[in-house]
Amino acid sequence: MEKIKIAFNLNDQDVSIETMPNKRLLDMLREDFNCTSVKEGCGEGECGACTVLRNGEPVTSCTMLAGQVQGERLLTLEGLSKNGELDILQKTFMEAGAVQCGFCTPGMILSAKALLMKNPHPSRDEIRRALSGNLCRCTGYTKIFKAVEMAIEE
Amino acid sequence: MKKRGKGVGSMWYGIGNTGLPNPAAAFIEVLSDTSVNLMVGCADIGQGSTTVMAQIAAEELGLSYENIHVISADTMVTPEGGASSASRQTFISGNATKLAARQAKATLTEVAAGFLNVPGEELIFRNGEIFSSNDNSKKMTYRELMAEMKKHGRLAVGAGAYNPKTTYLHPETMAGIPYEVYSYATTIAEVEVDTETGEIEVLKVVSAHDVGLSVNDTMVEGQIEGGVVMGEGFAVFEKIECSNGVIKNPIFSKYLIPTAMDVPDIYSVVVECEGECGPYGAKGVGEPALIPSIPAIAAAVEDAIGVRFCCLPITPTDVLRELGKLKTQ
Amino acid sequence: MSDRDFSVLGQSVIRKDALSKVLGEAKFAADYKFEGMLYGGVFRSTVPHALIKHFDASKALALPGVACVLTAKDIPGKNRTGIIIKDEPCLVDDKVRRVGDAIAIVAADTPEQVNEALDLMEVEYELLEPIFTVERALEEDSPKIHGATNVHAKKHLECGDVDAAFAKCDVIVEHTYNTSMLTHMFIEPDAGIARYEDKIMTVYCSTQNPHYDRADVAGVLGLPNNQVRIVQVTTGGGFGGKLDISVQCHIALLSHFTGKPVKMVRSRKESTNVSAKRHPMTMKAKTGATKDGKIQAVEVYMTGDTGAYASYGPAVITRAVVHCMGPYEVPNVRVDAVFTYTNNPMAGAFRGFGVPQVAYCHEGQMNAIAKELNMDPIELRLLNAHKIGTTIATGQVLEESVGFKETLIQAAAKAKEVM
Ligand code: FES
Ligand code: FES
Repeated sequence: MEKIKIAFNLNDQDVSIETMPNKRLLDMLREDFNCTSVKEGCGEGECGACTVLRNGEPVTSCTMLAGQVQGERLLTLEGLSKNGELDILQKTFMEAGAVQCGFCTPGMILSAKALLMKNPHPSRDEIRRALSGNLCRCTGYTKIFKAVEMAIEE
Repeated sequence: MKKRGKGVGSMWYGIGNTGLPNPAAAFIEVLSDTSVNLMVGCADIGQGSTTVMAQIAAEELGLSYENIHVISADTMVTPEGGASSASRQTFISGNATKLAARQAKATLTEVAAGFLNVPGEELIFRNGEIFSSNDNSKKMTYRELMAEMKKHGRLAVGAGAYNPKTTYLHPETMAGIPYEVYSYATTIAEVEVDTETGEIEVLKVVSAHDVGLSVNDTMVEGQIEGGVVMGEGFAVFEKIECSNGVIKNPIFSKYLIPTAMDVPDIYSVVVECEGECGPYGAKGVGEPALIPSIPAIAAAVEDAIGVRFCCLPITPTDVLRELGKLKTQ
Repeated sequence: MSDRDFSVLGQSVIRKDALSKVLGEAKFAADYKFEGMLYGGVFRSTVPHALIKHFDASKALALPGVACVLTAKDIPGKNRTGIIIKDEPCLVDDKVRRVGDAIAIVAADTPEQVNEALDLMEVEYELLEPIFTVERALEEDSPKIHGATNVHAKKHLECGDVDAAFAKCDVIVEHTYNTSMLTHMFIEPDAGIARYEDKIMTVYCSTQNPHYDRADVAGVLGLPNNQVRIVQVTTGGGFGGKLDISVQCHIALLSHFTGKPVKMVRSRKESTNVSAKRHPMTMKAKTGATKDGKIQAVEVYMTGDTGAYASYGPAVITRAVVHCMGPYEVPNVRVDAVFTYTNNPMAGAFRGFGVPQVAYCHEGQMNAIAKELNMDPIELRLLNAHKIGTTIATGQVLEESVGFKETLIQAAAKAKEVM
């Protein structure tokens, strides 16, 4: 297999790289762009820890290949705070106590972000559904729901 | 048809290892600008022990939480902490932290007493100030105190170690003191069982925990909520399928843990209870958070459909079998 | 919640680690990398009980990028680890005791080369009869997994006169309770990275137990404890499943041998397959009470399967026995417990150390008694609840901080309000 050149937008910056087309998006982000907020919990699209936003939609980067993001806009947790100013969800996750071990946190925040971008006033049920692909073993999800609800109010 | 039921479950939980010594230690230093380094062996695995230790040190020293920097679980830097297990760290490393802070404070007290010209026993350290409990015109700031310390060539350092007061248990009868202190809890669960599909929905869970003293309510609630949901998994979802020694379901799509869709409304009740042995009375909540929700949910399912189960987890198939709605092969 | 006069305690301050975690900056073990780092992997048994006749890594060693393959004979120190009983080989020497036992470890330049090397390793087994049930383990003619008996631990607790007390009871309930083997499913799989520099072995890892890890790594390497540094990095949950050694000894061995940093990150499957499990337990309980609702006697017989290695088994059985009558004043108690070794996955610590299992049993019994006596389950518990001055079954008198009744009262009040 030969390397291909791909160009995409990562966290508001245009980037390009030569990479193997069959490299997992997860590995490319972590290894080549040092976006280590993108976590691997299962490698099979089942836990959501590797969630990134592709054109505003949450996707599991462990089940995507590098070649699939040509020309797309990607957001990882590294790109969420702007000019040192935390995103509202980052603040409410801290305040609500929605973070324990923190391994699910990047994916959780990004899934919540995608929801709020589409639907600024989701109900509890809509929040549940939007986060149902992101597993958390520590928090019992309750404070995560609360964090999202606090972000709606702001 | 959907049937609802309620169930109660209680538990007790001895804090620390059973009938065995299990000490932990801490080192502390208050620096000249009043910032503090606290070195504890205790590993924070997400439960929040680092924050708990900082709060305990801040309280004991009379400084703010922000002043305390915690270095944890680095064996070249921190003393023995023992394991982050047995719900022991708030109690044991917490006590060690308090003792370490107290030792540093003894030196601080001596110097402050000399400067303010009052007996050390009268001094109160609080919110960055040191003042006499009898005469609050006699006071100084922490910064002034640290300048005074410097002048006298004194250092505000401390080491603390704590081993819970237990005894080895008798080998034949198990008589003895297995733990110094116990946490208690009671959970009440409400579930709804679909008698056509066998599906169990956990609707509401109230969980009341005697934690001694709640160091941080948000974190205590976080433990309880996480425990309740893990207990739900234990009671109605989770099981390793093992055949010929091989685990058949090592992945999330086959070993189901609760997702955001499964979470009941959780009402945490934090109960406090005076005691001398924990740091300011604090005990532990990590494992207690999980335990009583398991029997409570199981009992609620039994209450809903009037059937006794003898195995966990109770799955939809089990429900249907007990209701006679499953053709047995 | 606290009405005591504190300035910092009781405040819901923001966690120390929250900011780095919401920024995605917190570094977990898999996020570390060092210059010149190698990757490690483990060749594991696929059979539950066997002798190793022959192991061949020559094809793996011939692969480009493979730095070394190590087996038991390359261990400079002691080839046994374990938190309470040192019965688990770091790399199999005498025999395989479970599916997933580590037979060899490999270090290579890339994770792909590691996987290729693992695929090329060959092993020949002489199969032994495997044991998968407690019953078979206890039979006299069963093969022995460690030493001369498959009994891993046996406990007996007794106080009062249990038989006389049952004779005076108005109601007696007897039930059997079973719980399953469970797994922690922390979301971060086990991972670590080891670096050997200036005669100090540093292991950065996901762990609940750094000081214990230190002793086992030092033991395997034959180094003094103060030449091993364990740094617990941000850890993605544990729940008891990161108390045992996971990658620590293996990466330390590879790094010690190659002189290079070595990283190992378990896949979800490997993590679940080889980390300790919750003990599946069977509890046969008999509880007797007088008509006034006072519990007079409890008798429990429990068995548990600790799998191939002890891990935290001794802690689980002891705690389960002490707690199995529940938080109630029971003057007459008899408990017998047996845990056995089998060739199943190793069972160890999991949030609660056997108490979740026995709570299912003692609470099932309390609810059954309440039903028999037509009593409210909360009332029954209040009537029997621990209080200051209670003597528990081990003879300890509870002297302070017994808030059980308050949890019953407050839980009932809250339930009344919301349910
Ligand atoms: S790592 Fe991608 S979904 Fe789990
Ligand atoms: S905070 Fe640990 S997995 Fe969510």
